[in-house]
Amino acid sequence: MNGSAIGVSRPRHDAVLQVTGRALYGDDYERPGMLYAKALRSRHPHARILKVDTSRALKLAGVKAVITAEDVPKNRYGFTHLDQPVLADDKVRYMGDVVAVVAATSWDAATEALDQIEVDYLPLPAVFDPVEAMKPDAPKVHGDSNIVSHIKIRSGDVTEGWRISSEIVEDVMRTQVVEHCHIEPHAALAELTDDGTYVIWSTVQRPFLIASDLSRILQYPMNKIRVITPAIGGGFGGKNEITIEPYVCLLAAKTKRPVKMVLSREEEFCGTTVRHPYIVKYRSGVTKDGKIVARQVEIISDSGAYVSWGESTLSKASIHAAGPYFIPHVRIDGYLVYTNNSIGGAMRGFGVPQVGFAYECHMDNIAAVIGMDPLEFRYKNLLTDNSSLPTGQVLEFVTLRETVRKAVELVGWKKEVEWE
Amino acid sequence: MKKRGKGIACMFYPIGFTSYPNPGSAFVKVNQDGTAVVFTGATDMGQGSTTVLAQIAAEELGIRYEHITMVTGDTEKTPFDLGSVASRVTYIVGNAVKRAAHEAKRILLEVAAEKLGVSPDGLCAGDGRIYIKGLPERFLEISEVARIAQMGKGRPPIGSGSFNPITTFLDPETGHGKPYGAYVFATQIAEVEVDTETGVVEVLRIAAAHDCGKAINPMLVEGQVEGGISMGVGYGLFEEMVLDNGVVKNPQFTDYILPTSLDMPEIRVGIIERPEPTGPFGAKGIGEPSLLPTAPAIINAIYDAVGVRIRELPATPEKILKALRETDQGKA
Amino acid sequence: MKRAIILVVNGTEHSVEVQPSDLLVDVLRDRLRLTGTKKGCGTGECGACTVLLDGKPVNSCLLLAIRCEGRQITTIEGLGTPDSLHVLQKAFIDNGAVQCGFCAPGMLLSAKALLDENPAPSEMDIRQALAGNICRCTGYVKIVKAVSSAARTMSGAEGGGR
Repeated sequence: MNGSAIGVSRPRHDAVLQVTGRALYGDDYERPGMLYAKALRSRHPHARILKVDTSRALKLAGVKAVITAEDVPKNRYGFTHLDQPVLADDKVRYMGDVVAVVAATSWDAATEALDQIEVDYLPLPAVFDPVEAMKPDAPKVHGDSNIVSHIKIRSGDVTEGWRISSEIVEDVMRTQVVEHCHIEPHAALAELTDDGTYVIWSTVQRPFLIASDLSRILQYPMNKIRVITPAIGGGFGGKNEITIEPYVCLLAAKTKRPVKMVLSREEEFCGTTVRHPYIVKYRSGVTKDGKIVARQVEIISDSGAYVSWGESTLSKASIHAAGPYFIPHVRIDGYLVYTNNSIGGAMRGFGVPQVGFAYECHMDNIAAVIGMDPLEFRYKNLLTDNSSLPTGQVLEFVTLRETVRKAVELVGWKKEVEWE
Repeated sequence: MKKRGKGIACMFYPIGFTSYPNPGSAFVKVNQDGTAVVFTGATDMGQGSTTVLAQIAAEELGIRYEHITMVTGDTEKTPFDLGSVASRVTYIVGNAVKRAAHEAKRILLEVAAEKLGVSPDGLCAGDGRIYIKGLPERFLEISEVARIAQMGKGRPPIGSGSFNPITTFLDPETGHGKPYGAYVFATQIAEVEVDTETGVVEVLRIAAAHDCGKAINPMLVEGQVEGGISMGVGYGLFEEMVLDNGVVKNPQFTDYILPTSLDMPEIRVGIIERPEPTGPFGAKGIGEPSLLPTAPAIINAIYDAVGVRIRELPATPEKILKALRETDQGKA
Repeated sequence: MKRAIILVVNGTEHSVEVQPSDLLVDVLRDRLRLTGTKKGCGTGECGACTVLLDGKPVNSCLLLAIRCEGRQITTIEGLGTPDSLHVLQKAFIDNGAVQCGFCAPGMLLSAKALLDENPAPSEMDIRQALAGNICRCTGYVKIVKAVSSAARTMSGAEGGGR
């Protein structure tokens, strides 16, 4: 037998199309009579919307329709919390909130019309620091508290852990806001066919989520919504949720013409989700022989104006915040906090890169305090086969030690390592 | 002065969604010429999942990779998938494709069994043939079997499959439960050179040892690791979207600095394969984990090189110089 | 304000009416339907829109179409076709240098300009030539390897031909 298809290095199935420029990405699609859509975003990080007047924009040459919150059948979406409007209605909660979207016969006409949409705002006090936002008297982004969720992981008894520790080491680490920067911007094209089906070409990682969200937002049956993903120019979590698809669908219905929308790079930065910035506090207790016996972690995650994937991201971060080490006494508290900043969403690693940076730097700091080599300190504490995690989940197969040995084999370490 | 240092970082990462049901599904049909089409809702955003899923289908059906066509990412034409997220496609949709392919193959084996006068369980498929286990010279071409199945027996060789890892919700007070089906592990070691006059960090090389269960396509696994490292280099040293009272101050690549070809170190990838029993042919995932250890390994290498601990990402030259000055003052 | 100009793209003359403000990338994509040239940022930073102008790589998102009149423009569609791939395209495929593929057209044209000028580039030469093309997926490792491998193939082929 010639053998297996498994373990074989093959080029991507569509590589020939990609290298010849023939792969069709979102913005490469067009339909006859297609219109072009542009969004008007908020001018304030937090404000009440008093009035939106689109009448002047509608009179401009080439402008075919303008949609506002009134045009959206169900104007809220979100994975765990239905807190985000498709088009801002009562308030804007961050600079990226979309107030209106124009469809016109050219990109230029759509862009020019944005200036003619009049929006009256009543600016409201805003909050940008998640620690400030947690205080009872902080301006509220939604409802009566900015603390959206508190994730708890408890294992053993940290008080006992501190008691048996010979050293206790504390650290506070902060991570920054990061954009996905997939080189292809979001692009979507919608057409309402003669049989009443919305066909949407959209550069998304989750076409079925887009279809179900559209079904709810548009109040339209899923068998009449067809989401097609063309070639996608990178995602990294940035194309994980609904963004511009409702706009092109609503405008296609209103104008009876296909409508395309493509975000500018500036909109990718200002109007789409980002990696949550975290403030992470670590406290660990170690014994004289270098065993970690207790770890307490507090995570504050800035969700920005809406939850998006913030709660599930924080949950994943909390579950892994103790690191890949066996620690009997663990207490983890994660807080997700609304602010008037950009929205934290899904991004490659989903909260774990933030805590991973923190726990691995913390590990080096502990090693320095107890005078151990950072590699040997880790090796001593790593999870092994059948270790249990702070969640109680038991990991049957653990190859951490193999990965350490392999990395040393590839590039060497500061000193000769004596493996246990 | 330029000083060198090495830093290490380890990580563990789960494959799939946290606690929630996390299904993927697929349909497979074998045509009467022995080629096959796989339908799945999973999309490929560049990570290579469609290629990997085709390899899984080829292996399970015993049909050559070149004879598999993938239909993906169309909510009208393909069965449900949760999405290309959480490093889940190889593990979860891979299992769904394998199950769908297995079901289609079962029909082929039953039809072939009648012809070859053995039980279906005594047969296997490979290289475009169905043959008797241990007797590869006694075979039928899959094209022939598929034609007989469809047009002779009236049994089109089709299959459907879905997979959802066994997970449980977390207890809200203790966080206890089984949130994930499988885990991957990795260690990276970074070697850096820090210029103490300018604070500029050059990452010289990174060793990345990653366990992905089984590398269905080693070149694509390496590609994921190398790409993850570039994102990790950006996370550790360059990238920051600056917000001032909610306003993004650097909404262009002019001021938001991404790693270029000149910023990337030499990368040595080591793939560790310990097959995961619940994964398709032992595979787990690789997409997200590759980026995780990079930034802390670099930050720890900076500490090793010049003795300063950066606690806020990214480690810009300004932060490093400030920390170096503070360390000097502390000594004086 | 519109003006009819002749653009020579991949060796073919196209007569197009353009506004003085029309950018080359938009004329190529929207008017000539050569969508292989990509738009990633609009500010000349990402390099996805790279084309060759008289053999030199340029960001077509910063270039007015009327300034290109009569000059030789090469886009990815002119580099090779699925039936007849350029050595660089084949090397990108074989080395796994493409993931999402969005940067690939620009990256390939920058690489072509390099190899036209320097048939035996060092790794540093390649990295410098590609520094204006951002790839978010690959970490550039396999791209550099592909360009290097293509250079060897091309010089080998030339040597064999002599």
